[in-house]
Amino acid sequence: MTDVVLRVNGRERKASVPPETTLLQLLREHLGLTGSKLGCDVGDCGACTVIVDGKAVNSCLMLAGQVDGREVLTIEGLATRDRLHPIQRAFEERASLQCGFCGPGSIMSAKALLDENLDPTPQEIRDALAGNLCRCTGYTKMIEAIQDAARELRTEKSARTAP
Amino acid sequence: MPDTFETKKQEKTVVTDVPREAGVDLRLPAVVPAVPYPIETLVPQVNQQTPAVGQRVTRPDGRMHGLGQTKYIDDMSFPGMLHAKIKRAGIASARIVRIDTSAAEAMPGVMAVVTGRDIPVNSFGPSYQDQPVLADERVFHAGDGVAAVAALTEQIALDALEKVKVEYEPLPAVFDPVEALQESSHKVHGTDTNVYAKKTIRKGDVERGFAQADHVFENRFSTQMVEHVSLEPHAAIADWDANGRVTIWCTIGRITLARGDMARTLKHPMSRIRMVGTVVGGNFGGKNEITQEPVLALLSKKTGRPVKGVYSRGEEFTSTTTRHPIIMDYKTGVTKDGKIIARKVRLVLDGGAYCSWSETTLGKAAILSAGPYNIENLDVEAYVVYTNKTMTGAMRGFGAPQVCFAYESHMDDIAKALGIDPLEIRLRNAFGEGSASPTGQVLHSVVVKESLLKAAERFGWKEGRS
Amino acid sequence: MKGFEFVSAKDARHAVALMAEYGPKAKILAGGTDLLVDLKSVPEAPPAVIDITRAADMKEIKVTDRGLVIGALATHGEIMSSPEIRDRYPALVDAAHSIGAIQTRSLGTLGGNLVTAVPSLDSGPALVALEARVTIAGAGGSREMPLIEFFVGPRRTALKAGELLVDVVIPKKNLGKPAGFQKFGLRKGQALALVNSAASFWLDPAKKVFVDPCIALGAVAPTVIRAPKAEAYLAGKKVTPEAMAEAGRIAAGEAKPISDFRASADYRRDLIAVLTKRSLEGALAVAERNQKESRK
Repeated sequence: MTDVVLRVNGRERKASVPPETTLLQLLREHLGLTGSKLGCDVGDCGACTVIVDGKAVNSCLMLAGQVDGREVLTIEGLATRDRLHPIQRAFEERASLQCGFCGPGSIMSAKALLDENLDPTPQEIRDALAGNLCRCTGYTKMIEAIQDAARELRTEKSARTAP
Repeated sequence: MPDTFETKKQEKTVVTDVPREAGVDLRLPAVVPAVPYPIETLVPQVNQQTPAVGQRVTRPDGRMHGLGQTKYIDDMSFPGMLHAKIKRAGIASARIVRIDTSAAEAMPGVMAVVTGRDIPVNSFGPSYQDQPVLADERVFHAGDGVAAVAALTEQIALDALEKVKVEYEPLPAVFDPVEALQESSHKVHGTDTNVYAKKTIRKGDVERGFAQADHVFENRFSTQMVEHVSLEPHAAIADWDANGRVTIWCTIGRITLARGDMARTLKHPMSRIRMVGTVVGGNFGGKNEITQEPVLALLSKKTGRPVKGVYSRGEEFTSTTTRHPIIMDYKTGVTKDGKIIARKVRLVLDGGAYCSWSETTLGKAAILSAGPYNIENLDVEAYVVYTNKTMTGAMRGFGAPQVCFAYESHMDDIAKALGIDPLEIRLRNAFGEGSASPTGQVLHSVVVKESLLKAAERFGWKEGRS
Repeated sequence: MKGFEFVSAKDARHAVALMAEYGPKAKILAGGTDLLVDLKSVPEAPPAVIDITRAADMKEIKVTDRGLVIGALATHGEIMSSPEIRDRYPALVDAAHSIGAIQTRSLGTLGGNLVTAVPSLDSGPALVALEARVTIAGAGGSREMPLIEFFVGPRRTALKAGELLVDVVIPKKNLGKPAGFQKFGLRKGQALALVNSAASFWLDPAKKVFVDPCIALGAVAPTVIRAPKAEAYLAGKKVTPEAMAEAGRIAAGEAKPISDFRASADYRRDLIAVLTKRSLEGALAVAERNQKESRK
């Protein structure tokens, strides 16, 4: 068994899992966080996207042992009790998700993008979403939602930094 | 079979030392005020623009999706739940000589194994009941299931599948739909012909039309097989309880039809079967009939436990329905000013190993194959044939996209040869108000020409060509 | 996935020791974007997976007296954002950017990409065009070789059992050499290259001629290849659009592309001509920018 201690959504979690457990299995089956989805299991569809140490990754392509001591953010860690994350709200308002299966992954990719770049161009957004397949073909509304969220986050940031 | 066992595998399945405090991370958002919707009823007149167009509406399920809280099948689990996997034949056409499941059954952690012979009525299908739940005597395509295992974990089930030994006697096979039409071809289901449905539409006298035409154009078009690739794979959970009531949580879009198929294949009263349609992670026509559900139900019956099955992405391609490849022969007679006066269409749909929704697709493809054009003399013959390939079925458009590709490409060829603007030749032939479809349906609210003109104006058709 | 043992290496030396301990069937986990896919479908699991993702000494990107050293564990994302690479080597940035999607680029490593050695690998041509060398560590010490010789065949490299690719070095003589990279896939993201091409040359500031031109092509032969005839044609020639187009045509004749379900050999040859011309143009743009900046 591989013992791992990691921070998931800001909280320390411990698990002892078989070495061949993927990060996705660790999250879904051992920590009960089923928001990240298994779509293809080979890193093509992006439904399992989570953020590890600030970078968007396919959690189906990481072993649990690799995340020992690392910081993992999943879709469950975005909203608080009081409010949706601006990306989640924008996705809801723009009706960016249809069947929703790609949603958590797409939103995590968007989050990783906006964490680094609060004013992305549409091309940068497309690039950030290139690894998230949506078969309901809803990319346009996702891109619009991410632009909305970026705008809101910029406003929030300037309000915080204003004297 | 006992749940506990003394092997290396045991430590892999025991996860009692893992804290299961999942709830703390599933933070609920505060409820925000709902968006009010206009509630006054409005009955628009024909061709009247309703105020709905241009309004922004959100989806009722959008928030749950965005929070990752929507529960798809694979997000659900029940106490004692087992995991099922299906062994695929991997051979396109064969007789099954014998299946030996003893080694798999003896594996620690394996709770039950079923084969095609365990299925009470081993056939189903929306039009013809030609599809076995699991292949028993014969394998008709490589994606056919031959045995299924329920085990404590998915990995044990997969390992057990490797221990299921199947002996095959390879049989001839046919993969090309045109070849399958020939008398000498291998007959997939042993019947006289591989053609299992045919549609004919005749209107006017097509030969006279060709004789009167200034030009006759002929061309063959073909399209490829397409898989829906819904992001969520086919998944289901079956729970056969001690009272003989079966509950199936499934991703099927047509649960009532599926319930009938379950009753048939399980030979179980429909009143004892409950189908729960869950949120589906993409259907697109690919989740319109049962797949593994009867197998899961039987595994649940054998073990007395809920059994979950989730297809791998590979199984999605090999063992679920796909879009029909169609070979489309078009022959069109036109006057020198581009008016179509006769059209002959021959369609051969590659139906794969089983009918599934092929009959429906065939009908739509045949009716729509002439295009939205007034053609006085029409002769359409469409066939769907069995081949030893993954079955084709419903997918967005039911045959319409394939024929549209053919007749519009054909139209462009004709326009080019006659030196007529591609938009103009369509306007000269397109349906108008009161036009009749090839099968005689009189059409209303026809805006083909208006749509073409508006589109041409919007994207600058004329400007782009000058 | 079938069961295996999971061990983590602290550094390159530890990794080599673990490889010796677990034998040739053990698998090295660098980025895992290919390895995990393989492990999910292998009939037999390896005895161990040796995780080298924590070997910090193999991650650095820095300029030393050997040249520009890129640790084998540098991810494609890190290469794109490295201050040593970002502004000076757009070809390396473009090559890294063309790999997979963001998720794969934040896990996938340069070393992993090179060791996988698929004919269509995207990180190869740009490095070959800069005449990169690789350092290989083994139980008996380390050795060096040109990257182009590292590729032996499709999915085959010069690595022997127990050896580890440690870093990739752009030699001193090529530091700052202008280079361009071009890839053509069926989509803009997450697609395998039908053809990729890289070119580098020094621009003689006075005579405006090609000096030391170097052209590398990917996905058109079992391994990354150079286009020596096209290079010879360009050497000493005046830099003109016609010369670059002609070099592309010559390069197209030097490759042996295959026909498969993605594209025909003829189509690939056409692509080689166009992409080679464009990668030369890319290198030229860098050269002109560099000269403008040095004049400032």
